[in-house]
Amino acid sequence: MTVATGTEPIVKEVQIDARPETVFGFFTEADKLTRWLCEEATTDPRPGGVCLQTHRAGESRGDQLFHMRGEFVEITPPSRLVFTWGFDEPSVGVPPGSSTIEVTLEPEGEGTRLTLVHRDLPEAELPSHDEGWDYQLARLVIAAAGGDPDA
Amino acid sequence: MQHAIDAIVEPRRREILRLVRDAELPAGAIAAHFADVTRPAVSQHLRTLREAGLVAERREGTRRLYRARPQGFAGLREFLDQFWDERLDVLRREAEREERGKTDDSGNRN
Repeated sequence: MTVATGTEPIVKEVQIDARPETVFGFFTEADKLTRWLCEEATTDPRPGGVCLQTHRAGESRGDQLFHMRGEFVEITPPSRLVFTWGFDEPSVGVPPGSSTIEVTLEPEGEGTRLTLVHRDLPEAELPSHDEGWDYQLARLVIAAAGGDPDA
Repeated sequence: MQHAIDAIVEPRRREILRLVRDAELPAGAIAAHFADVTRPAVSQHLRTLREAGLVAERREGTRRLYRARPQGFAGLREFLDQFWDERLDVLRREAEREERGKTDDSGNRN
């Protein structure tokens, strides 16, 4: 493995026909996180509180669970929240605390303009053990499906 | 990218990738690993993987050696870029459903 270097942040913008108050809960409440982002979640939505998520990656045959261990850094309902994003599994290449996600919710008409910025991601390397290898392959398969990795 | 995806959909090609992940192997050693696959079939798999940029081929005398090519795989950033597109699309649908539910049930309940 070579030393990871930083990458440009990923920036996403989405228009949602729901108020920021409604959208905000989907980042802080465990039973709402599981509706769009992960299989299981545990959250303690305050600065320094945990945000644990279990993600499933892979094909039906080689399904594998990955554990995201994040921490809320900033929580300003209903307009902004920041949390760290990293995985217990070293193979993913994003250790806990290493990358940061910043979500901004701005009212727009009756809805919300959501901006998500994912920064401090390392460059990918070919992982050196099996778990990471599976994850790499899983990524490709998910990308191939071009759809819901849970489907 | 599509090439790489097509290449790894086949389980035997994934198995080959595992074999040549850390070690450069001659085609014969790769073929020997599969009791139930003919050598020409293994050669065909290797060709597909090479064309997809997932393995590198090197000739040494009459032997052809193969090794996985990390550059052929999707990077983490590309993966997450698509991951967020997909997840946020689901979030949009779920948040809008939630919003409709609130409005239908009892106005602005939180």
